[in-house]
Amino acid sequence: MDLRLPKLGEGAESGTVVSLHVKEGDTVTKGQTLLELENEKAVAPIPSTVAGTVAKLRVKEGDTVSVGQVIATINESDGPAAPEVPAAPKKLAPARAAEPEPAPEEEEPVEDESQEVSDAAVAAAPSIRKIARELGISLGKIRGSERGGRIVMADLRAYIQRLQKLTAGRAAPSAPPPQRIDFSKWGEVTKKPLSPLRKTIGRRMIESWNAIPHVTQFDEADITGLMELRKKHGAAYEGKGAKLTLTPLVIKAVIAALKKHPVFNASIDEAADELVFKEYYHIGVAVDTEHGLFVPVIRNADRKSLFELSKEVNELAEKARDRKLGLEEMQGGTLTISNQGGIGGGHFTPIVNRPEVAILGLGRGVMKAVVKEKKIETRLLMPVCVSYDHRVIDGGSAARFVVDLIQAIENFNEEDVRL
Amino acid sequence: MDPIKTEVVVVGAGPGGYAAAFYAADYGKKVILIEQDKRLGGVCLNRGCIPSKALLHATKLVVEARESAHRGIMFGEPKVDLEKLRAWKEGILQKLAAGVAQIAKMRGVQVIHGRGYFEDSTTLRVETESGQQLIHYEKAIVAVGSKSALPKAFDLGNPRVMTSREALDIEEIPQELLVVGGGYIGMELGTVYAALGSRVVVVEALDSILTGADPDLVRPVMAYAKRAFKEVRVKTKVAKMATAGKQIKVVFDDGTQQKEELYDRVLVAVGRVPNCADLGLENTKVERDEKGFIKVNERQETNDPPILAIGDIAGGVLLAHKASKEARIAVEAMIGEASVFKDVVIPAVVFTDPEVAWCGLTEAEARAKGINVEVAKFPWGASGRALTFDRTDGLTKLVIDPETERVLGVGIVGHGAGELISEGVVAVEMGATVRDLAECVHPHPTLSETIMEAAEVFFGHATHTVVRKRTE
Repeated sequence: MDLRLPKLGEGAESGTVVSLHVKEGDTVTKGQTLLELENEKAVAPIPSTVAGTVAKLRVKEGDTVSVGQVIATINESDGPAAPEVPAAPKKLAPARAAEPEPAPEEEEPVEDESQEVSDAAVAAAPSIRKIARELGISLGKIRGSERGGRIVMADLRAYIQRLQKLTAGRAAPSAPPPQRIDFSKWGEVTKKPLSPLRKTIGRRMIESWNAIPHVTQFDEADITGLMELRKKHGAAYEGKGAKLTLTPLVIKAVIAALKKHPVFNASIDEAADELVFKEYYHIGVAVDTEHGLFVPVIRNADRKSLFELSKEVNELAEKARDRKLGLEEMQGGTLTISNQGGIGGGHFTPIVNRPEVAILGLGRGVMKAVVKEKKIETRLLMPVCVSYDHRVIDGGSAARFVVDLIQAIENFNEEDVRL
Repeated sequence: MDPIKTEVVVVGAGPGGYAAAFYAADYGKKVILIEQDKRLGGVCLNRGCIPSKALLHATKLVVEARESAHRGIMFGEPKVDLEKLRAWKEGILQKLAAGVAQIAKMRGVQVIHGRGYFEDSTTLRVETESGQQLIHYEKAIVAVGSKSALPKAFDLGNPRVMTSREALDIEEIPQELLVVGGGYIGMELGTVYAALGSRVVVVEALDSILTGADPDLVRPVMAYAKRAFKEVRVKTKVAKMATAGKQIKVVFDDGTQQKEELYDRVLVAVGRVPNCADLGLENTKVERDEKGFIKVNERQETNDPPILAIGDIAGGVLLAHKASKEARIAVEAMIGEASVFKDVVIPAVVFTDPEVAWCGLTEAEARAKGINVEVAKFPWGASGRALTFDRTDGLTKLVIDPETERVLGVGIVGHGAGELISEGVVAVEMGATVRDLAECVHPHPTLSETIMEAAEVFFGHATHTVVRKRTE
C-alpha cells in the first residue's frame, strides 16, 4: 500500500525530510520510524502504519513533503490492508519544493471557527445573511454572539476585521524587498540555509515584537534559601529519578504569583476586543537546543507536585533536545519561563511569547553583598526579568507581580519540596 | 407591427410577474409586462386568494350571526342575493386589478395583453388582439403560473363539475356539493358553500385533510368541518364520475367497497399544474422537470441564461407570497446582486374556520427528518381574548431547538392565525430564541399573547396555564 504523509498538526501542511531511517527492501514493523520530517515547529518522526517490506521510497532527504503526499510504498507482510492512513487530508497538495512559506498558524483562529455548521443552520437576520453573501463570507464560519448563537452585524464586522488583519500581517514581512549583500567581499564566509524552524522563530519574534508594546521589569530574587532547599532535598529527588533544578521551583512560585495577578495568565482576543482569563496554568519552558529555541508546555502545572514538575521539565527538555516534541506539546501555554541561569546570564529583555501577555526571564544567581538589618551579608541573588504586554498590564501591576513573585521565591515552603 | 427591443420582458402579470416588472422598473430597466388576460393580477387576484377571501369573509357573517343567538343577539335566517354577492366580490377584484394597472403606468412599465410565445432564447412573440408583436429582450422572467388540475376522468365537459375558478363565480348554491380533495382550496371553498347553505361532502384520498400541517393544528378544523359539513370522508377515492341528468353520479372507493351517490355539483380541488404548454419553451434551452415545472437555480435562473422563472411555474410551494419573493430575487440576480432563494421562510395559511398557519419547521417534519426539537404549546382555552368571541378552539405552538433554544418553526390554528403567523416568520427569519419571544411584551387582551405564552410554557411558567386556574 502507499503510505501518505499523515496530518502533522494544526497549521502544519508540509515539512522537509531531514533523515530517512529505512531504505528500500527493509522490513519494517508497524510504528517503526520511516523518516524524520522537519517543519516549522519541530522534527517529527513519521512512523509506518503497517508492517511489511519497503518496496519503494518516494522521497529523499531534503525533499519538501506535503500532508497527504505518498512517502513510501510498503508491501504488507500479513493481513488485509490497513483501511486508511491516519487522517489523510482531502486535498493532495503537490510537493512545494520551491515554496518555503507554509501557512502561518495565525490563520487557525479564523478557520477554527468553521465548526461544520451549514449555512442552513445559521441563526442570523436576513439582512445579515445578504451582506455575508455579498461579501462572499460563509456565516457557518462565524460564531454568533447573541442568544442562541445568533450572528449580528458586530460579529460579522469582527470577523472581517480579523480577516483583514490576517492578510495585512501576512503581507507585511515581505513588504521591504530584502537586499542581497555580498559578504564575501570582506572576507571568507560559509553559507547555510535557514532551517524552517529558524525561519519560524524569526517570523514569530517579529510578529510578537511588532504587535506587543514590550516593557521589561528588572529585579533580583534572593535564592539563598531556595538553593539550600534544593541541596537538602536534591538527593532524594535524584534517587527517585528526577533532577531538582531551579526551574520547577520557580514554576511553583510563579503559579502563586499568577493566582494573585490573573491578568498575567490572560490573553488578548484582538478580534473580539476581549481579555481572556484562563482558569488553567500551562507553563511554557524555553529550551535552548543546538537547532534553536523550543518552548514545551507543562500542562496544569498548578496541580502538579514539585516532583512531578521536576520530572516533566527534565523529560520535556530532553525531548526538545532530541527534537521529539509533538506540536501539541508546544501549544496552549499561559506564561513562559526563560531560564538562562544554567548558562550564566544577567538581566535581559525576553520577548513575550504571543498570545501570552508576559514572560519571565531568569539569569544566573550571583553572590552579592546585601545589607540586611544594617548588616552586610552575602546572599545569592538571581536576576529576574519580566517582560509584559503594556496594552493590558500597567507598570504598577507589573511591579506588584514581581514583588509577589520574589516574595514567593524567597519564602518557599519546604513542605512543597519534601518528597 | 415592428419588433420592439426591451431590457426586460416579464411573461405573466400575477403576484410574481407584476412584482418583478415593477421592481425591475424601479432599478431603471425598460420593462414590458405580458398578460394574456384582460385584467392584471393573475390567479391570485382574479381567481384565487382575493376572491376566495372575499367570499369567506362574507359567508363567515352568516355563521357568526347564527352563533350569536346564545349571546342574546338574534337575527333572522339570512337571505343570500348571489348576484349582489358576486358583484361586490367583482368590485373588489376590479379595484385591485385597476390599481395594479395604474402602478404599472406610473412606473413606466409597458403592458401588452396577449399570449406570449418564445421564438428563441431572446425573442418573445406575443399574440395580441391587433396582431403579432415580436419582442427582443435581454432578460425574460417567466411567471405564467399554474392552474387547477382537472384529471381526465373528471373532465365531463359538464359545468356542474367545477374547479376553484368556476366555484368562485358561484353560479348557484347547490344543495348537494361534493368537494374532491381535502387540501386548502377544497376546505376553504367547502366552507364558503356550507355557509351559503350547501350540504357539503369532502372526500380525500389520504388519511387526513390539510396534509402538510401538523395533525394537532388540523384537529380543530376537522372538528369544525364535521359540524359544518355533511361529511368528511378520508382515505376514499373518487373512482368514477358521470353526468346523470341535472346531477353528477359519483362512485366512491374506500378500498374495500364502492358506493354511488348523486350530487348537484362537484368541486375538483386535487392540486395544480404548471401553465407550461404553448409557451414555446422548447425553442429555448429552458429545462423542465417531469411535472412540467421550470427548473431554476437558487437565483431563479433557468438553464438558458437570458431566461429566469419565478412563482408557481418554477415549482416548489405554489403560493403568491413565494412568487413575490422570487420576483425580488430574480430581479436582484439580474442586476448582479448576491441574492439567492435560500433558507427563506415561506409561511403557509389556510383560511378555513378556524384558520391554520405555520412557518419554518413543522413538528411532523422535524420528527420525519430526525431533528431533535422541543415543542411548546399554548392552548387557546387559556386565552382570555379567544374566550371573548367563543373561539377557544385554537392552539399556538413553537418548534424549538433545545440546544440553542432557537425558534425553528411556529404553528397556529385558530381565529386570525393567518395574521398571527407573521410574528412567527419574523422570529424564525431573525433567528430569535424562545426567550426572545417570551420577553417581548405582547398587548393584552390579544391573541398575539398566545405566542408569548407558548414561549413561557417552554420555560414552565406561562401566566395563563393550568397553574392560575388552580389558584383561582
